[in-house]
Amino acid sequence: MKDKTFVIILAVIMAVGVAATTALLIHGYSLWKEISIVEMIANWGY
Amino acid sequence: MDKKKLGKQLAVIALLIVMFAGLDLAIYQLFIKKVISHHSPGMQKMSVEVGNYVPFSGSENIYSVEGAERLEGDIPTIDGAAALLPVYAGFVESIYPEDSVIYNGEDYDPSSAMHYTNTRGAYKDIVDGNADIIICAQPSDEQLAYAAENGVELEMVQIGSDAFVFIVNANNPVDDITVDQIRGIYSGQITNWSELGGRNIHIAAMRRNEGSGSQTALEKLMGDMPIVPDYSALTGSPIGFSFRYYVTGMLAEGGVKILKINGIEPTRETIADGSYPVSGGLYAVYRKGETNGNVYKAVDFMLSPEGQKIVEESGYIPVR
Repeated sequence: MKDKTFVIILAVIMAVGVAATTALLIHGYSLWKEISIVEMIANWGY
Repeated sequence: MDKKKLGKQLAVIALLIVMFAGLDLAIYQLFIKKVISHHSPGMQKMSVEVGNYVPFSGSENIYSVEGAERLEGDIPTIDGAAALLPVYAGFVESIYPEDSVIYNGEDYDPSSAMHYTNTRGAYKDIVDGNADIIICAQPSDEQLAYAAENGVELEMVQIGSDAFVFIVNANNPVDDITVDQIRGIYSGQITNWSELGGRNIHIAAMRRNEGSGSQTALEKLMGDMPIVPDYSALTGSPIGFSFRYYVTGMLAEGGVKILKINGIEPTRETIADGSYPVSGGLYAVYRKGETNGNVYKAVDFMLSPEGQKIVEESGYIPVR
């Protein structure tokens, strides 16, 4: 694999990975803001 | 083609993919799926939604009285804690002029005499002059400092009370806790449910936003003991806190239970007679030296038998 191709593949994986993680964190944060403490404790379990 | 080099490149690519997949899976499993993914429609229904408590909308959720003298002239702007919305919506519907409340379907208009923010927003608004009366629990030290910095002194008139309660998952075998144990948990000295009669599971001590009514109540309960954040507890089982009113409506949905404190259950009777050890006051707060006579009329109404009935029918404990 040419170095240039390798770097492009790495860049694409990094971009997709960072975007997916960011989206997941944003989704989690919005849920966190909406959910009540009672629901959170009920979900969390023992 | 250098096969060794190609092997290394493919290994780096695979490692990167596995690393991101593992990270996202961990976030999802530990944080989103386990703790916050499942909203219960029943619980959502019971939580305090602003649209369910709009005065003069004919809402059955608001308890108000008929025949009370309505305010005229300079109408004071009222605001308060989220959980206390039913109380001040009842006051407004009873004594405010109908045209003083402007609700746009999602929130109150800035020109409305009734606003709805939360404890933090309400204390800021009364200091900044954007509200004239707020209905809240006690202010935090930071909120008092903000008032002092701005040369505002706050008058606080207690109009009701409620229990400060601690909740755990319904499957947790611990039913009873002491005030000292609560202090131990939140100061980091007690870290495992086995120390309280439960299984060998880490205690996830949940906290609330700084300046919220319930976080301030915890700070007051802790006294001089510092609240130590615990970031390692996501795999444990939680303990959280709130006010009784906010939790009670949701208990029927199951999943959580309120702990007794020092063997006392938080009931209307034990809160009213003071035997439940961690009750908190609900206050009508206004600026000292307020010149708008309607502020005093409104507070007098809150303390009247009709006002106290609103406090009681809204789910809280009256003071008179």
